[in-house]
Amino acid sequence: MKCFSRYLPYIFRPPNTILSCSCHTEADIISTVEFNHTGELLATGDKGGRVVIFQREQESKNQPHRRGEYNVYSTFQSHEPEFDYLKSLEIEEKINKIRWLPQQNAAYFLLSTNDKTVKLWKVSERDKRPEGYNLKDEDGRLRDPSMITMLRVPVLRPMDLMVEATPRRVFANAHTYHINSISVNSDYETYMSADDLRINLWNFEITNQSFNIVDIKPANMEELTEVITAAEFHPHHCNTFVYSSSKGTIRLCDMRASALCDRHSKFFEEPEDPSNRSFFSEIISSISDVKFSHSGRYIMTRDYLTVKVWDLNMENRPIETYQVHDYLRSKLCSLYENDCIFDKFECVWNGSDSVIMTGSYNNFFRMFDRNTKRDVTLEASRENSKPRAILKPRKVCVGGKRRKDEISVDSLDFSKKILHTAWHPSENIIAVAATNNLYIFQDKVN
Amino acid sequence: MEFRLEAHRIVSISLGKIYSARGQRGGLKLHKNLLVSLVLRSARRVYLGEPGGECALPPRPGPPPPPDCERLRRGCRPLASEAAARGRPECPAESPRKRSAAERDPAAGYPGKKPRREAEQPPPQEDMETGNVASLISIFGSGFSGLLGKERGAAEATEPGQVCCEQPVLRSLNPWSTAIVAF
Repeated sequence: MKCFSRYLPYIFRPPNTILSCSCHTEADIISTVEFNHTGELLATGDKGGRVVIFQREQESKNQPHRRGEYNVYSTFQSHEPEFDYLKSLEIEEKINKIRWLPQQNAAYFLLSTNDKTVKLWKVSERDKRPEGYNLKDEDGRLRDPSMITMLRVPVLRPMDLMVEATPRRVFANAHTYHINSISVNSDYETYMSADDLRINLWNFEITNQSFNIVDIKPANMEELTEVITAAEFHPHHCNTFVYSSSKGTIRLCDMRASALCDRHSKFFEEPEDPSNRSFFSEIISSISDVKFSHSGRYIMTRDYLTVKVWDLNMENRPIETYQVHDYLRSKLCSLYENDCIFDKFECVWNGSDSVIMTGSYNNFFRMFDRNTKRDVTLEASRENSKPRAILKPRKVCVGGKRRKDEISVDSLDFSKKILHTAWHPSENIIAVAATNNLYIFQDKVN
Repeated sequence: MEFRLEAHRIVSISLGKIYSARGQRGGLKLHKNLLVSLVLRSARRVYLGEPGGECALPPRPGPPPPPDCERLRRGCRPLASEAAARGRPECPAESPRKRSAAERDPAAGYPGKKPRREAEQPPPQEDMETGNVASLISIFGSGFSGLLGKERGAAEATEPGQVCCEQPVLRSLNPWSTAIVAF
C-alpha cells in the first residue's frame, strides 16, 4: 500500500463512470452484489429478477487511466414473477442472493435465488462461429442435397464477442418459507439453501432431491420463537457451517455428527445488556448477516446497530464489537414505525480479514480496521464521486453544536440505505449498492 | 404512565403492520411478522399491566428485574398461575443466565426427528394457514380499542394477573399466537 490516510491505509476513489440507470423504478433496486473468486467479475441482482455481470477491463498501455474499470459483461433475466396457485401467493422475482462457483473451465457459473427457487447459470463467451456447413447455408436454411457437388470442412471464423447465459439447473419446490441464503461448499459439489425454518443441502447435479440438514420448525407453530436469518459454509471445512437466528444467536454445525444437524456443535451468544433493554431489543438483536472470515477462524455478524466479530473458539461473547450507528438507539420507535428497523444490512471482510465493511443510512457506509481500531464513514453519492476524487470521510453529529461538514441525525435520509456491499477478494476495490446505483471504488494508485 | 402511552402507540402501530402485511407481494414474511408479534406482546403486557410486562421496559434504578424476565425473553410462558391455567409445561426452573442443555437444544422435546429427503412435490401438510388471519383482521378492524374493549370484558370475570385462555373469545384475541398460526 503506497497511500495512507489519517483513517485507513486505503483511500478510495471512484472510477470514471458510475454504473446506474437514469430512471429509477422499483425493479431496478439492487438486491445483491457479489464478486467472483478472482474479482474479475462482479454480479448484481435486482428486484426485477435481473442479473447484471460486470467484468474488469484488462490493463492496457494505451489507456492506463482505465485500468481495472468494470464494464457490463452480461445481462439476463434470472427469475420471473410466479404465482403459487395452491396457496394463492405471488412469488417475487427479486434476487435475494448470488453466489459464484469457482472457475473450473472457460465458462463462469453462478447460483442465483429468489424466495423459492435456486438456479445455476452458466455464463460463457462465444467469439467464433463455424462457417461452411455442407447441408445448410449461412442463414441456416437446408440446402437441396442434389445441388451439393463438393464436400467441404466447416471452419471456425471469428465473430463479435457474444456472452450468453443459460440456466443449467433449476432447484425448485424445496422451500416452504422464504429463502434468505445460499452458500457454496468448499467441496464444490454441494451447496446449501436456507429459509426461515429449514436448511437444505443440494448436489449441483441433482435437482429433484435435497437433504434437509436443519429444521427448527416447532411442532406447534404457536411456539415459534426464532427463525433462521442467514447461513454459510466454512470456507475450508466442507463439513462445517453456521447459521444465525432472529434471536441474535449463531449455531455452528458439523455435518459429520448426524444427518439432521438440529444439535449444534457450538452456540454463540452474547448476554443481553440490561441497560439497553427496550420494546425493540429483540428486533435489533436479530442477526441480518453472518460471514466467515477468509481464514475461517472468525465469523462476523451484523445486527441492526452493530457488527460483531466472533472467534470460533469462544462462544460466550464476541471478541470485537463495532458500533455502526449507535445514534439510532434513541430513535428505535420511529424506525419501527417507518419499517427501517427491519432493514437487513450485510457485512463483508476484505481479502486479508483486516478490515470489515457494512452499510448504513443516508448512503453512508462504514469501514472498521480491526488492527488499528480506526473506523471511517464514507458516502456513496454522485456529488461526492467525481472521477479521481478522493472520498471524504463523513461524520454524523450526535448532539450539541454541529460542526461544518457534519450532518445531524435528524437530517439523515432513511430512504437512502446501503444494505449490500462487496469487497474484491484480493484488492482494495469495493462495490457499494445504493438503491438502484452501483458504486465501485478503488484505492488510489500512485 | 408514559410507558403505557408508548405501549399503546406501539400496539397500534404493530397491529397496523400485521394488517398491512397481508396484502404484501410475495406473501407473509415470517421473520418480520414474528418480530412484530414479539414487540406487540411486550407492549401489550406493559399496557395491560400484566406480570412480566416490566421486563420489556428499560431498567429503572432500584431492585433488579425478577428472574422471570430471562424466561420471558427466551419465549417461555410466565410462571405459576397462567401456566397452570393453560395446562402447558413450564420452562425448567433454573438460574437466569445459565441455560440447561434442553433449553439450548431446540430439537430436544421434538420426538422422532429423522432426516428426510424433500422430494419434488411440496409436503401437503404445510399450509400457509390464512384462515386465522381473516378472523384476526376482522377483530382488528375495529382498531385497538375494539381489542381492548373485548379483553376488559373478559378480564373482569377472572382474577387479575390471570390470562384466561379457556374462553375461546379471548384466546382468539391473542394476536401473537394467531399471527404465528397464520403461517
